Amino acid sequence: MSSDNLAHQNTANNVNNVLSTDTFSCVWCGLTVSAQAPDGSRRNHCPSCLHSKHVIDHVEGGPSECGSRMSPIAIAVLRTGDWMIVHRCVRCDELTSNPVSTDDNQLILMRMAVRPLAQPPFPLEAFGTL
Amino acid sequence: MPRRTQPGNRKNRHRPQRYKDVLHGNGGHRANDFRCVGCRLDVSLVAPGTAHRNHCPNCLVSLHVDDRVPGDRASECHGRMEALSLTVRPDGEWMIIHHCLSCGELSANRIAGDDNALVLMRLALRPLQDGSVASSALLTAL
Repeated sequence: MSSDNLAHQNTANNVNNVLSTDTFSCVWCGLTVSAQAPDGSRRNHCPSCLHSKHVIDHVEGGPSECGSRMSPIAIAVLRTGDWMIVHRCVRCDELTSNPVSTDDNQLILMRMAVRPLAQPPFPLEAFGTL
Repeated sequence: MPRRTQPGNRKNRHRPQRYKDVLHGNGGHRANDFRCVGCRLDVSLVAPGTAHRNHCPNCLVSLHVDDRVPGDRASECHGRMEALSLTVRPDGEWMIIHHCLSCGELSANRIAGDDNALVLMRLALRPLQDGSVASSALLTAL
């Protein structure tokens, strides 16, 4: 509870603390990861399996009572070209988006990005003539 | 352009308006239709493949009217929601993730059978559009 929740909470005073040795263990794969991303910002998902934990309520703001696992479902692209991971809470279906960090698992990121193209709901041959 | 003057037909000039049994207003035959906030298309609520249409089939723009439960109409935001990305359910069905431009809320909606396929494809290909991220990801993964 203690280190896990603290690691996910985006406290502004800890962002630039270089000497911070905070760690949290992933709720899905159990990997112990440092709470600090390579670019110095606070991490909110596991870099190995990209799963997160539902600790912030984005509808009403403030901490969430859910605390359940959030699985990555989609890649969103900002206008700047940066990628965001869209997480979905497996318990209450809440959606959040978080920026990717540089040491995130690239294989899972690419797999999520090309996932819609694997099973298109319409034939893609028609686009060849456009 | 209607004719303002009707020469030679002066006696029928003040004919009372005919009674119309089709009501176009509230409760009429288009009571549930909506006009898209993005492209102003008049959209019928009858959609192939889904029972609840919640986004424009032409530009995929939606309106933030529901709170946590779909269909509850409890949100006070009423901002415009634009399609942010696509995700796939485990059964292979595409879902559009909408992003509220007013409050930043995200929501996932099923696609309908008459959604614009070109816009859907552009949305699906958007992560691969910018070559730098995608190619670096592929080079490190392989």
